[in-house]
Amino acid sequence: MRLLVIEDDATLRESLAHKLSEAGFAVEQAADGKEGLYFASEYPIDLAIIDLGLPEMSGLEIIKKVRADGHTYPILILTARDRWEDKVDGLSAGADDYVVKPFHFEEVSARVNALLRRSGGWASSALSAGPVTLDMSRQEVLVNDEAIELTSFEYKIIEYLMVSAGKVISKSELTDRLYDQDFERDSNVIEVFIGRLRKKLDPDNSIKPIETLRGRGYRFALERNQVD
Amino acid sequence: MNSLSSRLLISVSVLLLLFFGATIAVLDRAFTEAGEQARRDILDGQLVGLLAAAEPDDSGELVMPDRLREPRFERIGSGLYAELRDLQGEVLWRSRSALGLEVPGGTVPELGNHLFGRESFEDGTPLLTLSLAVEWELDDGASKSYVFKVAESLDGFNAQIAGFRRQLFGWFAAVAFTMLLAFSMLLRGLLKPLRQIETEITEIEEGDRASLSSKFPTELTGVARNMNLLIDSERARSDRYRYTLDNLAHSLKTPLAAMRALLNDRQEEGFGDRFDEQIERMDEIVRYQLRKPAASVADNLVLAPVPVEKEVARLIDGLRKVYHDKHPEFEVRIEKGMQFRGDTGDFLEVAGNLLDNACKWCERKVRISAVPSVGARAVASGMVLTVADDGPGIPQDAADALLQRGMRLDESTPGHGIGLAVVKEIARSYGGRLSIKRSELGGAEITVSIPPVATAKSDQVP
Repeated sequence: MRLLVIEDDATLRESLAHKLSEAGFAVEQAADGKEGLYFASEYPIDLAIIDLGLPEMSGLEIIKKVRADGHTYPILILTARDRWEDKVDGLSAGADDYVVKPFHFEEVSARVNALLRRSGGWASSALSAGPVTLDMSRQEVLVNDEAIELTSFEYKIIEYLMVSAGKVISKSELTDRLYDQDFERDSNVIEVFIGRLRKKLDPDNSIKPIETLRGRGYRFALERNQVD
Repeated sequence: MNSLSSRLLISVSVLLLLFFGATIAVLDRAFTEAGEQARRDILDGQLVGLLAAAEPDDSGELVMPDRLREPRFERIGSGLYAELRDLQGEVLWRSRSALGLEVPGGTVPELGNHLFGRESFEDGTPLLTLSLAVEWELDDGASKSYVFKVAESLDGFNAQIAGFRRQLFGWFAAVAFTMLLAFSMLLRGLLKPLRQIETEITEIEEGDRASLSSKFPTELTGVARNMNLLIDSERARSDRYRYTLDNLAHSLKTPLAAMRALLNDRQEEGFGDRFDEQIERMDEIVRYQLRKPAASVADNLVLAPVPVEKEVARLIDGLRKVYHDKHPEFEVRIEKGMQFRGDTGDFLEVAGNLLDNACKWCERKVRISAVPSVGARAVASGMVLTVADDGPGIPQDAADALLQRGMRLDESTPGHGIGLAVVKEIARSYGGRLSIKRSELGGAEITVSIPPVATAKSDQVP
C-alpha cells in the first residue's frame, strides 16, 4: 500500500512517515501544498494523509482538486483546527475522516487501516475470506484460525491482494504500491514472493487463495465471508 | 465631487440655472413683445394724424401743413419721422425731424394696406416703420395714389429692453446667489449630525467615548443604534478574546509546571504515560478555549442567518463518512427554511458536538430536530435543537454534574465531555441553556434552547 503524507512540519511528517513505513506502508512525503498536489495526482496512491494548513496551497484545495480530477482513494485530514466548521469543510470537500492534532500515532494508523479496508469494500477490520483471515490492525494472517508466519513483504502482498479482493492486480501495480521508490524493481521478485505465499497459506494446495491470470496479474480468489 | 454637499450644491446650481434661464427667456420675450406692440399702436396713431393733416392744394397735389401737431415731427433728430411719397417713390414731403436723414424707401404696400417693417438709416439706427398706400380722391373726381410712411427710431426702445434685461439678470443673479448661500447653510445644518457621528467615532477610537450619543435626528437613530450594536459586539468580542487568551495562558501553566517537575524523575517507571497525560491536559485546555463561542447575543443582529437544514445536512454527510463502519441511521426533523441567527461556526459547533456524541454512543439511531422559538417583540427567532440517540444514555448524576459545574477547566476531568462543555458555553453566550434527559429512543436526549432575540437592546436607545 502506497501512502502519501502532506504535512509542512518536518518533525511531524518524518515521524509519521517513519512509523507508517515501519507499519508496512510505502510512504511518499510532501512538505507543501503544490508538491503535495503533484504527488496526489501523479503517483499511484492508495491513501493520502493531508494536513489542512499548508503553505503554497491549502489542504482543502488539494482535496477539492484531487476529487475533481476523479481520484477516489481515501483521504485522511490532519488538522490543528478543532472546530466543527473546519472538519465539516474538509469532509464535504471530499475527505473521508479526520484526526485532530496533537494525535497518537496509533490513532492515525487505526484510521488509515479502517479507510483502506473500507475502500476495498471490507466492513470490519478483520478481512475474512473462506478459511483466510487477515487482521490489518495486528498485521496478522490466520488460516483456519491458525496464525501464519509471514515476512513483512509477504504480508504487504497478501494485504494488498486481499483488500482489493476480486480485482486483478498487475505485477507492475504490485511493485508500484509495495516498494519504496528507491527500491530495486524486478518483477521476478513478485513471482517468488507469490510462490512463497502460496506455500505458506496453502501448503497442500487445497484452498487456492491466489489466482494467476496469465499476462494480467494476480487476484485474491476466495469469496469474502459475509459477516456483519 | 465625492462629498454629499458638493453633489447637492452642484445639482441645485444646475437646477437654478435651468429654472431661472427659462424664466428670464419667457419674461424677456413677453416684455419685448408688449413693448413692440405698444410702439406699433403709437405709429398707427401717428399715421392717422398724418392722414388727417394732409390736404390737397390748389394744384390738386396733396400737401402737408407747415406745422404738425406732434412736436416730435418738428424737432430735428427726435426719433420720429414721417414722409409722403408718390407711388414711384418720389419724396413729396418729409417731416422736419428727418432733416438730413434719408428714410429708406422700403417695400411699398398694396393700395389700401398697412405694412409694418424694420428698416434702418444709413448710419445703422434701427427703425420701426409703418407705410400706408392710399388712393386720394381729389375734388375734381380724379384720384391719386400716395404712400404715407412713419418711422420711429428703435434706439430708445432697444435701450429700454437692454435696461430691462440688465435688471432682470441682476435680480435673478442676486436671488440665485442668496438661495445657494441659504441652501449651503441649510446643508451644513442638515449634515451636522453626520459630522457629529464622525467626530464621535473618532472619539470612540481614541477611547474618549464609550458609545455614540443618542441626540441624533430620527432618520439617523437607526444608524447610530446599529453602529452602537456593532461597537458593543466588537468590544465584547475583544473582551472575550482577551479573557480567553488570559485563561489559556494561565491554565497552560499548571501542566507546564507538572511537566517540568516530571522531567526530574524521567528515569522512573511510567514517565512516558504521566508526561503524555500532561500533554493531553494541555491539548484539552487549548481545544476548549479555542472552541468557545465566537459570537454572543449582542452579535445576533449583525450576523447573517444560518440555514439550519443545509448545515445539518453537511454535518450528517461528514459524520456518515466518519462513522462509516457503525452506519448510524439519522432521522432529521427540521422545519423547512429554518434559520438560526448567529455565527455559523457556533451553530456547527453545537450541532456537530451533539451529533458526534450521539453517533459515538448510539446503537443505531440518531435523531436531530430543530424548531424555531418565537417570542413577542422578537426581532430574530431563537431555536430549540434536540439530539437524541438509542445508546446507554447519560447517568443522572453525571448529567447534573455536567450541567451544574462552573466551567473551570482545571476542575473538569480530562477527556470527558469537552464537547458538551463547549455546547453549554455556546448556548449560554446566546442566552440559552442545555438540558439532558432520557430520550424515547432509549439513550440520551440533549436539548439546547436559545431564546429569541427581543428588541430590548434597541430600546436602550431612545
